[in-house]
Amino acid sequence: MDRWRVLIHQTRDAYTNMSIDEILLRNGTPTLRFYQWYPSAISIGYFQGIREEVNLKACQKAKVDVVRRITGGGAVYHDEKGEIAYSIIAPIDCVPSNIQESYEYLCTGLIKGLHLLGVHARFSPINDIQIDHKKISGSAQTRRYGHVLQHGTLLCSLNLDLMFRLLRITQEKIKDKHIKNVKERVTSLEIILGPIDKDKVIEALIIGFKETLHIDFKQCEMTPEELSSIPKVRKKYVQREWNFKR
Amino acid sequence: MSRGNGILKGELKAPGGKLLKCELTLKKDIIATLKITGDFFLYPEEKITDLETGLLGCRINLKNIQPILTFFFQHVELVGATPQDFINLIMLTSKEKKE
Repeated sequence: MDRWRVLIHQTRDAYTNMSIDEILLRNGTPTLRFYQWYPSAISIGYFQGIREEVNLKACQKAKVDVVRRITGGGAVYHDEKGEIAYSIIAPIDCVPSNIQESYEYLCTGLIKGLHLLGVHARFSPINDIQIDHKKISGSAQTRRYGHVLQHGTLLCSLNLDLMFRLLRITQEKIKDKHIKNVKERVTSLEIILGPIDKDKVIEALIIGFKETLHIDFKQCEMTPEELSSIPKVRKKYVQREWNFKR
Repeated sequence: MSRGNGILKGELKAPGGKLLKCELTLKKDIIATLKITGDFFLYPEEKITDLETGLLGCRINLKNIQPILTFFFQHVELVGATPQDFINLIMLTSKEKKE
């Protein structure tokens, strides 16, 4: 069984979190990473218009950072208390070449982990995991340098009022979801399980990935080289030129 | 859809689930600026600008834009929408002018 590294207990700001994912992708060492966001932040997809998706004034007022990802997909509110984020970096030949299938393949690790916690979730194409038709996890993927990066979020608790003040979500976006209100579309681990211990959740998710990817994981830290490249890469994610490019 | 400062705006919900948005300016039916945004996935991501710049100077009709988009999508991978969704989006946005 191959052994990959796992990085946990990382709480950083949005710009650093996105820098680390890019650095890990460039480096290419197979890695599973769990992290959190402090302060709370919004990440937008590579192709999204920042002004179209985000209420920038409300973000400024709430001291919520906004960052553009290198991955496509939609805008996500990352609550500093309410989320476990993950990323997985793998050689491209470790996942199905079909992108849609590879989302499902990698999400199966999360689904298995949730199952171990007693939560019965299922993959919802293209890039979501749902429980009873409500979204609990979304992921986004890019492929570069011979590796795949998939990162995403697992909702632990919800701060819906703030989320919907910060994000501009149109009715058009949810018109085929068979729901009346966008707030009916999401759920969280705490809604389903009650109070949770994030460390235990991460533990279960690691087992989930281990069993589905048939990979052993060893807890590690980032290398000194990876850590030293953060300031340079972070500059890109802080810049207006990057975040307002669309 | 809306119109302001000469910018035509349109959006289209792809049957694949993703929302595509378009901002377009036309000068005498020639594409002067074009921006396509949304929550779709396109690989490699930076190629989106090739599509946007490749359509500049093109007269806005289906006969002209279809081959450009068809060629473009032969060289990238699109997830969450289809090339036809992009064609429909651009044509739909351009028609806002005539309303």
